[in-house]
Amino acid sequence: MTMTTALTTRPSKAQQAGVDLLRIVRINEEIKAVVGVAFRINIMALNAIFLAKRAGTAARGFGVLSNELRVFSQDLRDGMSALTGQIHGCVTEVSVVLQDIRHTALLRQAVEQSPAACGRAVLAARELENDRHTERLARLRKQLRAALDDAFRMVELGGVLAKSAKIEAAYGQSFAVPLAQVSGEFDGVVEEIRASLESLRRSAFFTGN
Amino acid sequence: MKKTKTIFQDGNHKWVAIVRDPDKPNYLIDTNEYLVTHGSQGILLDPGGAEVFPAVFSALSSEFDPSALSAIFASHQDPDICSSLALWLEFNPKMRCYVSWLWSSFIPHFGGTADTFVAMPDEGLDISLDGLHLQAIPAHYLHSSGNLHLYDKLAKVLFSGDVGAALLPPGDDGLFVENFDAHIRHAEGFHRRWMGSNEAKRRWCERVSQMEIDMLCPQHGAIYQGADVQRFINWFDGLQVGICGS
Repeated sequence: MTMTTALTTRPSKAQQAGVDLLRIVRINEEIKAVVGVAFRINIMALNAIFLAKRAGTAARGFGVLSNELRVFSQDLRDGMSALTGQIHGCVTEVSVVLQDIRHTALLRQAVEQSPAACGRAVLAARELENDRHTERLARLRKQLRAALDDAFRMVELGGVLAKSAKIEAAYGQSFAVPLAQVSGEFDGVVEEIRASLESLRRSAFFTGN
Repeated sequence: MKKTKTIFQDGNHKWVAIVRDPDKPNYLIDTNEYLVTHGSQGILLDPGGAEVFPAVFSALSSEFDPSALSAIFASHQDPDICSSLALWLEFNPKMRCYVSWLWSSFIPHFGGTADTFVAMPDEGLDISLDGLHLQAIPAHYLHSSGNLHLYDKLAKVLFSGDVGAALLPPGDDGLFVENFDAHIRHAEGFHRRWMGSNEAKRRWCERVSQMEIDMLCPQHGAIYQGADVQRFINWFDGLQVGICGS
């Protein structure tokens, strides 16, 4: 990057890094909420398995789906845990970029004020290093987005399971009402997670707007 | 930009004061930085905070190649002393930072690696600068619990960190103390409050009284020279310190 470019882009870079940090913090909070909801599904699925056992053969299909939902909740928690790790990586890198910006601004000021622009080479080396950090952040951003897409696909599968459970509940004979209630709760919770992930995928952290 | 003033020169042995930035925002305390050069090497004493780095760097580079700075001497750990460390290291990553052992794991929060720091023992240390021997002398509890000053026997100059510092009013920006009695009024409150131990102060006064000092150079305010050096030591010896309030 030339010094001229750096001079013209510096204020927007600093603002962008600050905004990125806020956005990544918000994403992290949202993911923590999703992890909490995923844990709720696990408990709900366990209750549903007991209920299906009590209902006997009439709720066999429902029992199978409840097991699958329990596996889904565990997979979802694992996925969210991996996402949290990636987010920490992004937070670290955004912080490094913020520190780069402050250091570079001070170095640039020093070089510009010094006679014969002493230290241009040091400034150029610093800017090269900054570019490396920015590229690394861009890579992490892409990886995080891909991981969110994977989680979203997993939740869509969870939605299918929840809807199938609703259908199976209808065959539950005398247990049809409580089974319908449980499968309705499943569906609501999965929908809640899906909406959260959908909004995370649209976060300006990924679109850069 | 800060001004530079050569306060001692004998051949290639030089002391340069880097002082008084008219553009410095008022919310930052004013600081004096000192560059000691000998032969091809230089050591920067209390290089200052990150916010004043551009002003110090530009002034220093008008006198000396910043990449030839071989060391930094940090009298203690305060941010106005050396929070610019990471920026100086950009110019010479092999630069060493001399600091009291007490702060040698705290100051790395400002930058540097394990190789950067030379932990000075409580009794002080001889520092070599291209054949010149400088002496780091103890000044603990004045004000920091791990505090050292730097004495140049050849130049008869003592860098005294916060000892001798004065918070000068606007417009009173002379580099040297002109009228001791008028000047010391701006130093009194600072020393009473910041210096934590009368015993440490007494020991320091005894030690430096036995040294030949032509100039006593504090990190804030004006430089004491000639008879004002001993006048200051006597004044400090008689002052009760470690006092909060009036």
